[in-house]
Amino acid sequence: MENDTIIEINEPACFFCKTPMKSEDVFCPECGFPENGTDKEKAQFHARNAMERNKHMDADKKIRSARNVLYVMAGIVLVFGFIAFFIDQDMGVLITNAILGIIYLVLGSWTSKKPMMAILLGLLLYLTTIIISAIFDPSTIIRGIIFKVFIIAYLAKGVYSASSIKK
Amino acid sequence: MAHTCRHCNATFETKIKFCTSCGKPFEQPKVDTRAQSLNVIIVFYVIFLLYTVVTHLLFTEYPTSLGVEIIIESVFAALVIGFSILDYKSVLKLYQLPKVDWKILVFTFVFPVFTAFTVSIAVEYINDFLFEVENGNYLEDYLYLDYPLLWAFLFIAITPPIFEELAFRGFLFNRLQKVTSEKITIVATAFIFALVHFSFISLIWIFPFGLILGYIRSKYNTLWYGIIIHFIHNFIVLMIDYYSYNAALFEV
Repeated sequence: MENDTIIEINEPACFFCKTPMKSEDVFCPECGFPENGTDKEKAQFHARNAMERNKHMDADKKIRSARNVLYVMAGIVLVFGFIAFFIDQDMGVLITNAILGIIYLVLGSWTSKKPMMAILLGLLLYLTTIIISAIFDPSTIIRGIIFKVFIIAYLAKGVYSASSIKK
Repeated sequence: MAHTCRHCNATFETKIKFCTSCGKPFEQPKVDTRAQSLNVIIVFYVIFLLYTVVTHLLFTEYPTSLGVEIIIESVFAALVIGFSILDYKSVLKLYQLPKVDWKILVFTFVFPVFTAFTVSIAVEYINDFLFEVENGNYLEDYLYLDYPLLWAFLFIAITPPIFEELAFRGFLFNRLQKVTSEKITIVATAFIFALVHFSFISLIWIFPFGLILGYIRSKYNTLWYGIIIHFIHNFIVLMIDYYSYNAALFEV
């Protein structure tokens, strides 16, 4: 009995994540670090880890761009709503755009908690607005097409980047 | 339960993240399946948008054709069923008869009565005061037919509840569950359900309506309550339109 306790206290811990591990284990069960592996394996682990971190940083960058796109959309929609209201006294457009702008703002701020869902819903919302305007006036689909493609591309990149990292 | 490493076949008593003898991650990373589910969701939505555009063009071209109406409804039904077949097992489960308890039953029959009247009144008010347009009447689209109420009943009260519930609370709900949590799934399906109604003003009531339908779907794991609530809601809205149409006739 006494022997067992001593062994437990002396149990080796993972150098990388400090999880206690059994002495016969080569790899840490928690983070996969080759505690009892060769130097080459350790080097490979660190390289993989660095790559993973890089991927995360890259994904975070794309999520940030998508968030900015959502905020820009909110701004544009709100400004257009106000312009329409002051020029034509169009209350309907003002309210519609205000709702739309608020949704973009909410989705934009939601990207920090649930980036994948927030950007996905933002993308679907944007596609819907394009289609609705096209139904009212088919020529709107060509207007600013480059701008539209950019927005869709940024949002789509954001969605897939967010889906590639855990959150 | 023993856990076996897929790479080196070592077995472990407890659940671990990395195999201690070969160092490979134990669970398959979820990234691929997530991206796949995202693809399906986006494709489903884009197809739906295209369907709406085509529908709109057809309706402007043939405003009074029962054949076109039936084709459009059938295409929607076929699309929804087609997507549902992708994972029919989890969709079929939702059609099992649910456990019945009196609370949900009362709610199923009272809630849509409340929403139907509130929404009808709110829509009329908004259209009158904000957009200064004639209030749209569901019945008027079918007046060219011999039995407008019958056809309106079929295309407004019967088919949308069945296929919209299958599409949003069935197929889409199951897909989203795979990539995110239950709560977020309810919010996201409600949002998409509101978006496809193509009016940003109506987001205000369709979104909460979708939230409640999603919550019931998630709690009871069945589509039946949603279908009934949706049916009663649409049916009462249609009857209010029918009533106000007849009342307007007598005034003239």
